[in-house]
Amino acid sequence: MGVREILAEWGVKEFRVIDKAAIQEITLGASILATGGGGDPEIGLLWAYKVLDEGKGIIMVDPTDVPDEIQVASPACLGAALVLTEKPPSSEVINLAMRRLERYLGRSIQATIPIECGGVNSPVAYAAAGEFGVPVIDVDGMNRAFPELQMTSWVTHGVHASPTVSVDDRGNVTVIDTGEDDLLAESLARRAAMAYGGISWIATYPMTGKEVKEASILNSQSIAWAVGKAVMRARREHLDPIAELLRSLREERGVEGFRVFKGKIVDIRREFGSETTKGFTLGKVIMEGIDEHRGHTAELDFQNEWLILRIDGEVRCLPPDLIAILDSETGEPIRTDIMKYGYRGTIVLIPAHERMRTPKGIELFGPRHFGYDLDYVPVEELNA
Amino acid sequence: MAGTLRLGFDVGGTFTDGVLMRDREVLAKAKALTTEDVTTGIINALDELLKSSGVNPAEIGMVSLGTTHTTNAIIERRNLNKVGIFRLAAPATTAIPPLTGWPEDLKRAIGGPEFVHIIRGGSEYDGRDIAPLDEGAIAEACRKMKGKVDSVAITGVFSPIIPKHEERAAEIVRDVLGDEVHITLSHRIATISLLERENSAILNASVITVMRRAVESLKEAVKERGINAPLFIVQNDGSVMSADYAVDYPIFTVASGPAASVRGAVYLSGIEDGVVVDIGGTSTDVAYIVKGFPRESSITVTIGGVKTNIRCPDLLSIALGGGTIVKHKGEEVVALGPESVGYNLVRLGKAFGGPLLTVHDVAVAKGVLTERLDVFKTDFVTHPEKIEALPKRLVENAWAAIKATLEEAIDKMKTTAEPVPAIFIGGGALVVPREGIAGVSKVLSPEHFEVGGAVGTTIAEIGAYAEGVVDLEREDREEAIARVIEQAKDNAAAAGAIRETVEVMDIEEIPFTYMPGKREKIRVRVKGKIFA
Repeated sequence: MGVREILAEWGVKEFRVIDKAAIQEITLGASILATGGGGDPEIGLLWAYKVLDEGKGIIMVDPTDVPDEIQVASPACLGAALVLTEKPPSSEVINLAMRRLERYLGRSIQATIPIECGGVNSPVAYAAAGEFGVPVIDVDGMNRAFPELQMTSWVTHGVHASPTVSVDDRGNVTVIDTGEDDLLAESLARRAAMAYGGISWIATYPMTGKEVKEASILNSQSIAWAVGKAVMRARREHLDPIAELLRSLREERGVEGFRVFKGKIVDIRREFGSETTKGFTLGKVIMEGIDEHRGHTAELDFQNEWLILRIDGEVRCLPPDLIAILDSETGEPIRTDIMKYGYRGTIVLIPAHERMRTPKGIELFGPRHFGYDLDYVPVEELNA
Repeated sequence: MAGTLRLGFDVGGTFTDGVLMRDREVLAKAKALTTEDVTTGIINALDELLKSSGVNPAEIGMVSLGTTHTTNAIIERRNLNKVGIFRLAAPATTAIPPLTGWPEDLKRAIGGPEFVHIIRGGSEYDGRDIAPLDEGAIAEACRKMKGKVDSVAITGVFSPIIPKHEERAAEIVRDVLGDEVHITLSHRIATISLLERENSAILNASVITVMRRAVESLKEAVKERGINAPLFIVQNDGSVMSADYAVDYPIFTVASGPAASVRGAVYLSGIEDGVVVDIGGTSTDVAYIVKGFPRESSITVTIGGVKTNIRCPDLLSIALGGGTIVKHKGEEVVALGPESVGYNLVRLGKAFGGPLLTVHDVAVAKGVLTERLDVFKTDFVTHPEKIEALPKRLVENAWAAIKATLEEAIDKMKTTAEPVPAIFIGGGALVVPREGIAGVSKVLSPEHFEVGGAVGTTIAEIGAYAEGVVDLEREDREEAIARVIEQAKDNAAAAGAIRETVEVMDIEEIPFTYMPGKREKIRVRVKGKIFA
């Protein structure tokens, strides 16, 4: 069954056709919301372009149009971003992972849901939908990027990552079924990726249409799209990309972001992963203020994504709220894996989605989870 | 060695500059119009230099050039080779085949998808095979390409760390296609990031003949004039490589010109760390120099519409030059440029009786221009009354705006909070503020800065680099770094340096993200001398 037949069966009349321009805008927006992580968009974008060039349509539907009983799953890349840039996927990986998940579930998968906002996994979700011939639902599990599989609104709302199917380019398949233990699912999926050679392709978070509506960040794709569109327009029309970005968040999500600092990276201290850090890159970045922020200092902790911001020693943002450092002229996000001494940027803070801020959410991805002896305080209060 | 004099040429968009050097002394300078074939312009400048200096050609010990042969051929899609393309990667990577995202005309110019093959092979980061190399498939594909391709580009997954599949594939290609078909191996061209490295390798393969012809005709021209000296080409980092090496790696010359200018500024000023500000008529390039070389760009470099990861100098270009128009409302400056009157300065600028206020005019009004530069045919002001009529406040405001623009550009490129020296070169070097520039300890404009690029080609230093991946849980860090240093020194020697003179410039360690363990990439840059 193709994507159009699926839509006909659901009785969906309104949907959005995703073309190359759209995928580019969505990916830029997602990269900004990825809060410094999420990897390099290039591979995912080129894959999505190829899928479109082959005439495979990519279509996005609103979650309210999705029937309650259908089966969906999230296709994603899990592993080392650097390996991905050297070893792009086989065009078969997603189909293989999805088919094996279907076989394990005994049900056919009728739509995909992006797992996060990120340079890699956002365009990959669209390419995967095109390859697999199903629509993308306008939701995700974070509306930002996080480093681990279990850090989703799905988990905090009672949906679990298991069963997850993890495959590699050579056709190796690992089925992970840890029931409600999502941390163990993450750990096993990470190990499978390392054993494969650094990168795995997964079909994860199988859930019903009803669960999608109850547990996802709704319309998160539209939010990323609006953000990307706004920044692209700012570039074309020589407007302030930060102002346009903040405006788009106001209009699309009804939230107020904060432009808190403009500065230049003057120090980067990286630490290598160890047992206690689960292998993630962590460190600290110091920015010295420029222009109206001259004389002030910003300090950012990162664990793949930006985590905590302090300005002149005062905490201004805590996870799961979003931190983005954007090039002041182009609005291009600066990622933790490519930032360099001397980069100049504007720091923007964005409140996390309310579904990420539940008590369970704060427990799973609040400051204490990342090893800080700090209580979560919403970014709105820290910047009142 | 024949002699101690050095000849250097810098091919620019309009002029090809030449210099004849003895140690640090400029014996002669020449400017010839750049010609369409590039080579003729160089030969014209060469003849002018020999004539004006009257030196004995036998005294010349080195000839070097910064050139645009390669860049022009790719941008204009002219005289490109037909390229056989092998990617050693299947079953991985098929989602994005070679040439994805290339402009259609460029794809056609190099032969198109007919010669593209994704072959089973390539490595994982840890050294395992993705699949055993499918040698039969390579031989089979070569038989079909025979007589149809001029060169071959081979790119294997993780070849910068594990080159064995690329090397084996090259043997098979050579067996079937013979020695006349040139082979480019991606791991000799660029680093991790498959698609960009593959693009770089394919582009390199496409300009082999262009570079070979250029080198051959220059060698011949030099020889005909009684010069018995080796030929060198400036590479992207501003160091040089022997011409015989350059014919295998023409892609290393795409940023040859700007890199040579930066190196010339360093050489003429004697400043090794600081900023170089190259001020022209319409724009200014700012580069940060570390130990005499321009810092590298960390982002992808697009050549002829194709994304590559070729190493190029990190240059910041801003729209500020001598001809830049100062837009103002009364005494208030609204904007500097971005438009420039360019070479029409002498018609349109206030100082020449024209209607427009330019950066040049502001400099005249400020009294910083007191004599004309050799490179300009006219005096710096022909209508002093027009300059005198300018409101004093406007001149001050414009001068402050120019200073602020320069300061911001310099600050963007600086990576230290300490003040650093700045070298101002180019035709516009004297028309901008030089006193009290924020973040700058002193401003210099050394003699001969107008032929700085040509001078920059004559610095007999060779740069090279190497990379490796290390698992710090298994291998000692110091040993791993030493291993990469040795590789970099070998690479410098291959490019023409005397191995004993090669020294380390910097060591960079980049951790792998999203991967447990303590893996990191080590990158070492070195430089060595051509003459003992």
